[in-house]
Amino acid sequence: MTHLFKGLTLAAALVLVPGAAVAQGADPDAVIRIGSLYEPQNLDNTAGAGQGINEAFNGNVYEALFQLQDEGEVTEQLVTDYEISEDGLTYTFSLQPDVTFHSGDPLTAEDVVYSIERVTAETSQSSRKSSLATIESVEAIDELTVEVTLSERSISLPYNLSYVWIVNDAAVDITASEDGTGPYRLDDWRRGSSLSLVPYENYWGEAPSNGGVVFNYFTEATALNNALLTGAVDIITSVQSPDSLAQFADNPSFTVTEGASTTKELMAYNDRIEPFNNVKVRQAIARAINDEQLLEAIWGDYGTLIGSFVPPTDPWYVDLTDVNAYDPESARELLAEAGYPDGFSFTLDTPNYDPHPIVAQFIQNELAEVGIDVEINIITANEWYTKIYQAQDFEATLQEHVNHRDIVFYGNPDFYWGYDNPEVIELIASAESSATVEERNEKLRQANIIIAEEAASDWLYLYPQIVVSAANVTGYPINGLNSQFYAYDIVKTN
Amino acid sequence: MTAVAATEPRRMRASLTLSVGIVLVGLHVVVALLTLVWTPYDPAGMAGGRLEGPSLAHWAGTDRLGRDLFTQIMIGSRIALTVGAGAVGIGALIGVTLGILAAFATRFLDDVLAAAFDILIAFPTLLLAMLVVAATDSASLFSAILALGLAISAIVGRLTRILAKRVLEMDYITAARTAGTSWAGIVFIHLLPNIWPTLLVNFALQFGLAVIAEASLSYLGLGAPPPNASWGRLLQEAQGTVYTAPFGAIAPGLALVTLVIGMNMLADGLRDIGDPTRRRSR
Repeated sequence: MTHLFKGLTLAAALVLVPGAAVAQGADPDAVIRIGSLYEPQNLDNTAGAGQGINEAFNGNVYEALFQLQDEGEVTEQLVTDYEISEDGLTYTFSLQPDVTFHSGDPLTAEDVVYSIERVTAETSQSSRKSSLATIESVEAIDELTVEVTLSERSISLPYNLSYVWIVNDAAVDITASEDGTGPYRLDDWRRGSSLSLVPYENYWGEAPSNGGVVFNYFTEATALNNALLTGAVDIITSVQSPDSLAQFADNPSFTVTEGASTTKELMAYNDRIEPFNNVKVRQAIARAINDEQLLEAIWGDYGTLIGSFVPPTDPWYVDLTDVNAYDPESARELLAEAGYPDGFSFTLDTPNYDPHPIVAQFIQNELAEVGIDVEINIITANEWYTKIYQAQDFEATLQEHVNHRDIVFYGNPDFYWGYDNPEVIELIASAESSATVEERNEKLRQANIIIAEEAASDWLYLYPQIVVSAANVTGYPINGLNSQFYAYDIVKTN
Repeated sequence: MTAVAATEPRRMRASLTLSVGIVLVGLHVVVALLTLVWTPYDPAGMAGGRLEGPSLAHWAGTDRLGRDLFTQIMIGSRIALTVGAGAVGIGALIGVTLGILAAFATRFLDDVLAAAFDILIAFPTLLLAMLVVAATDSASLFSAILALGLAISAIVGRLTRILAKRVLEMDYITAARTAGTSWAGIVFIHLLPNIWPTLLVNFALQFGLAVIAEASLSYLGLGAPPPNASWGRLLQEAQGTVYTAPFGAIAPGLALVTLVIGMNMLADGLRDIGDPTRRRSR
């Protein structure tokens, strides 16, 4: 009991640390310089701009009807209140009054209709388009009321709407400029180098705690680390290797924060083909690999073990690390039961970038212990996409999956790994049309447990999300779900 | 008297270069042969902790998986020498054959072959290697050797063609032809013995370049796939840890440098000693 309590206090303290020191000597005019590796290709999140645009603009320049908070919950943003009809097919949203766009235009229901239709349009390249496919129509009832009609229940609509930027319907060319309602407006974008935001003076909510932010873009992680070391930037949004952390970890001039990421390292089998269509074979492989030792080798003291595809920040998370846990003895037994007492061999298609090649070698060593012979085939990211994702021509592969709430992939038998369990498909398909959030979470939790027990893939570990800042900078988001980086609470002391 | 004084130190320097070259290359050959029967640790086994520094137990430290780096570097010697020898072998076989063919051929065929050599030389080696890898469907030691061999064959071919043409203009070739020596006889009795010293020097140089090219390919993930411990792959894997465990990058780098410098010194020494035309011209 005391143990648990201690753990909880520690967890609470960890969450609070970045925001804790807001008090003394904060400079309200300080411009925060953020270092990032993800420069957006353009400024429109429905036009293939990459994750960098979410990092710079979500919640900072553009707002949505709902907001995905850094801790994972979804709260109202431009909506003050909403009603759902009995049958769950009609949502009526009341909008926040007195909101203006950066161009000065007031926010009206028409802008919301325009913004939602922009994402669901034929030509939209938004990665969220399919999750909004149940939207049948969007209508402006009056100045500040919007009605969304669905073809079937969609319990995650508020969550999905948190990805839909509310854009002024009069805005032109938002791939190179912006017209949002957020606390910052775009000041200057220098392609290939930086993007600067300044506070919007007529912002409807609480004004930012700083005098603006500049995102400085780097093409190489070492250059980015050096920029922080020399004081050219104040924060790095995500550190990709534990070993570059050594420069910062024991240095009082810097703060290292570990948050929860949604990036999962996994070995996906082609579940359609022999021997991976045999549950026992998959379970045996999962039990033959010591994930703990692997995580230690790749990330040192960072990162988290997961027993399934669902990270702790998804609402349907359950701790499944004990399911098919490391146990080489039972792995050998399972292989024998499955009809492979002498093992077998397979090719592991391995992307050529870190950490996949080293993970592949670890797996090769571990599986050799139980008699399975792994041949490593190094491929490029592009080959991965064409050979594995599109042509589904593979036996097993390594990949990092970054998305939030992506267990739905296991409900799609045509997905590249081809996991096909009617019960899971039914659970995942019906979860979205649940009447309540609890019902949905329960169904997805069930699905999660089944895929873990059947070892649909081998989920090796969850990447850590590491933010490093100068010690005088606080108040930044630590989890960065969906690549977001809310900048308005960041403060810098002198 | 003066002539002898000027030649002697030069020859001594040449033999010193040659000896150092032989020692460096010989060291790698011995290590490579040794790995066939013995290595300090199991190359795949986790023999120590994560990223340990150099110590008596692990001369070059350990990598992220706790494997002994010195063992991997030793195996890297074997891979580097295999690729170098294989690539130079393929290059020599194709290059010398086509080069001599061009020298003997009609004007038209000679032009075609010369142009082909030039085009192949102008083509970046790494790009060529990527094409070969794409054509063979997967990266392997064999595809790396084949790609580098093709690149080398063009260089060797061009050199052979020029050398052979120069020899074929000589009076004694005309004399031999008049005396009825066969085509093959001219090649094996007169031509090859006259051009092989220059070719040998070139092979040694190409060997060093092939070793570097193989490291580059492996660095890009186009060389021998893991668990083959190519130096290029060791360098690539050490890149992320270069601040915390610099020896992981320094050690394979040193191995690469010693072999390539050794090969170059060997080539230099061979040229100074073995090439009669060069010696005379000095």
